[in-house]
Amino acid sequence: MSTTGSVRVAPGVSRGPGDHAPRRPPPWRRASRPWLLLAPTLVILGVLLLWPLARVVNLSFQEYGLRQLASGETNYVALDNYREILGSEYLWTVVLPNTVGFAVACVVLTVGLGTLVALFLNMLGTVWRSVCSTAIMVAWAVPAITGTYVWVWLFDPLNGLVANVLSSLGVIDPGTVNWFADRFGFYSIATLNVVHHGFPFVAITILAGLMTVPVELYEAAIMDGANAWRRFWQITVPMLKPIFAVVTILSTIWDFKVFTQIYLMPGGNGGNAEVFNLGVWSYIQSFAQGKYGMGSAIAVLLTGILLVITVVYMRTLFKEEDR
Amino acid sequence: MKRRFPALVAGVAVLALAACGSGGNGSDPTDAGTGSGAGTQYEGETLTVWIMEGTNPDASAFFDGVAEDFTAQTGAELDVQFQPWAGAHDKFVTSIAGGTVPDVAEVGTTWTTEFAEIGALADLTDRIDEAGLSDDLVEGLVEAGTFDGGLYGMPWYAGVRSIIYNTELFEAAGITEPPTSWDELIAAVDALKASNPDVIPFPIAGDSQFGVFPFVWGAGGDIATEADGTWTATLDSPEAIEGLEYYTGLALEHGSSTAAASTWNEADALQAFIQGNVGMIVAGNWTVGRIAADAPDMAETIGAFPIPTRDGGVAGSFLGGSHLGIFNESPNQDLAWEFVNLMTTGDDATAWAEESGYFPGQASALEAYVASDDPLVAPFAQQMLEGGRSVPVTGLYGQIQGAKTVEAMLQNILTERSTVEEAATEAVTVMNEIFSSGS
Repeated sequence: MSTTGSVRVAPGVSRGPGDHAPRRPPPWRRASRPWLLLAPTLVILGVLLLWPLARVVNLSFQEYGLRQLASGETNYVALDNYREILGSEYLWTVVLPNTVGFAVACVVLTVGLGTLVALFLNMLGTVWRSVCSTAIMVAWAVPAITGTYVWVWLFDPLNGLVANVLSSLGVIDPGTVNWFADRFGFYSIATLNVVHHGFPFVAITILAGLMTVPVELYEAAIMDGANAWRRFWQITVPMLKPIFAVVTILSTIWDFKVFTQIYLMPGGNGGNAEVFNLGVWSYIQSFAQGKYGMGSAIAVLLTGILLVITVVYMRTLFKEEDR
Repeated sequence: MKRRFPALVAGVAVLALAACGSGGNGSDPTDAGTGSGAGTQYEGETLTVWIMEGTNPDASAFFDGVAEDFTAQTGAELDVQFQPWAGAHDKFVTSIAGGTVPDVAEVGTTWTTEFAEIGALADLTDRIDEAGLSDDLVEGLVEAGTFDGGLYGMPWYAGVRSIIYNTELFEAAGITEPPTSWDELIAAVDALKASNPDVIPFPIAGDSQFGVFPFVWGAGGDIATEADGTWTATLDSPEAIEGLEYYTGLALEHGSSTAAASTWNEADALQAFIQGNVGMIVAGNWTVGRIAADAPDMAETIGAFPIPTRDGGVAGSFLGGSHLGIFNESPNQDLAWEFVNLMTTGDDATAWAEESGYFPGQASALEAYVASDDPLVAPFAQQMLEGGRSVPVTGLYGQIQGAKTVEAMLQNILTERSTVEEAATEAVTVMNEIFSSGS
């Protein structure tokens, strides 16, 4: 009855189960204890995360419409949904470029702007730092729906602030340019919206990291004649690498699955198929057209892409740390 | 197994409400007195009803009155739950799947056949025949609610789109008579443009399918035709193309619109109209009441005229509105019909039409509107009576609407991403794909 717990016992010393049992609980109980402690978390994760995920994956292998939804029947079609999605030109020329391009632009801008703001906040005194960080937190606290409407209003082609300013400068006539109708214009506005909404989190997180870097390192570097640029790349970045990793991964995940900010913009809810990203496409297929199987397959695809990105990123990160 | 849970909940709810109800009845004996004797047949029962929010600006007061009438007539309690139009389709679908449907619901006319097809709604044909109502219903609403020979929604109210215009701007442009043909419409656009370059004569809203159909129909075209139960899209027919070219040409060639309008929906167009800088828009008869509520000054200076056909005449216009549907899962089918009957006939039906600005679903009640000399009622009534049309009556058209196929086509034309022919061909391809995917 050898268990892992008795491996360290020196050879030759015999220890029967009799003198072992009273001091330690039986192995099955020891093995079950961590699971027992984990159970509440696992139950919640299972109900809220794993079950819906399993259900979406299950749906993605079916042709599942209103009829199936109402009757509760299943209708498996194996990989048909995936074949249709991956074989469609629309995915490769419109949806995927939109999703990836938009996410890359947003992540770079969010993390870049967030870092600059964090460095700026770090230079301020306590009072002004509180004032400024409260101010930027407001942008973060605004719900995505409200924020999106604000940006849509700002860029309203007829009455919006931007159109008015540009027309009073004589650049355009109000009403003659509709940014929302054009793919690039549409996504530029969406990028402004998402970056504006996302940078405060990055800034606050990086600021928290900056405040833990020992001041002595910078003082020593200054003594050695390193300029600010060099100090940033040689001290701050290496010290804060894990934090940069976290904000980059989180931003990537968030910006890949942006939905509200696209769907609520003019044309984003279906009228302009040129501006769909994976999230909107999945929603339109599922809920506007009642093709729940197809919508689920797109959602699974999106999840898969995010998993791959995260795994690749984590691996490169940990490899560098091992070195 | 699936049915047991809602039934249990309903049972508990009935018990709970019965407990409240008996107290209420006891304190107001006059209710029982005014009833016709059969007034307490359903005492202790409760009917759950979903009504869409936003049609009638003062719906809760209206339904307080209806609840009183209903209790007096049947003895049962009425539980009206308001659901916003946006998201209502999702809510219906999920509650059908989960077995949590109400007894009766207001169902948009384009959804009725869709829900009938999946077996959620009850066939009301026999009940309507028995009540002697079948000959007195507005035809377009009957057509929209008919699936497989049965009528699955009781016509409740209807609305139709015509053109409303700003009388001040028309006068300033020297237009004395509203346009009655396509040529006159162009002349009006040109006159408005000439009199004041800042005016947007006739914005063409890209995110609105019901604005373009009257012009497709007005040229003799159609959205789709049915043969042997299979629908075929016909938006690429020469007539339809002519209509699409005319409608989008107003914006692209005659400068009637603004680039901004290519992503507008009807609400956006109405908003711009209310600001006073827009000559005319395609708008529903219910918007007249909304303008009076939102911009009382504006209400003095609006007029309406039917959307014309190419050669002069009243063009087809989508006849929309609502049915009252009874769900198959409801345990109170008879009581539910009592409610539907109460709502769609007699005083409550007329009062609803008056308050909401819609037309009643009963043909005899509609006649009064057609005879009206109100300049903001008569043109709509004429459009409805002479031009009331429906979109293809099949659940599959719901998918086409969901995919925004027609709006996408319009936006592609208006932003000059595609020519009219290209965009129409693309839309027809998408529509036929959906039509052929159905059983």
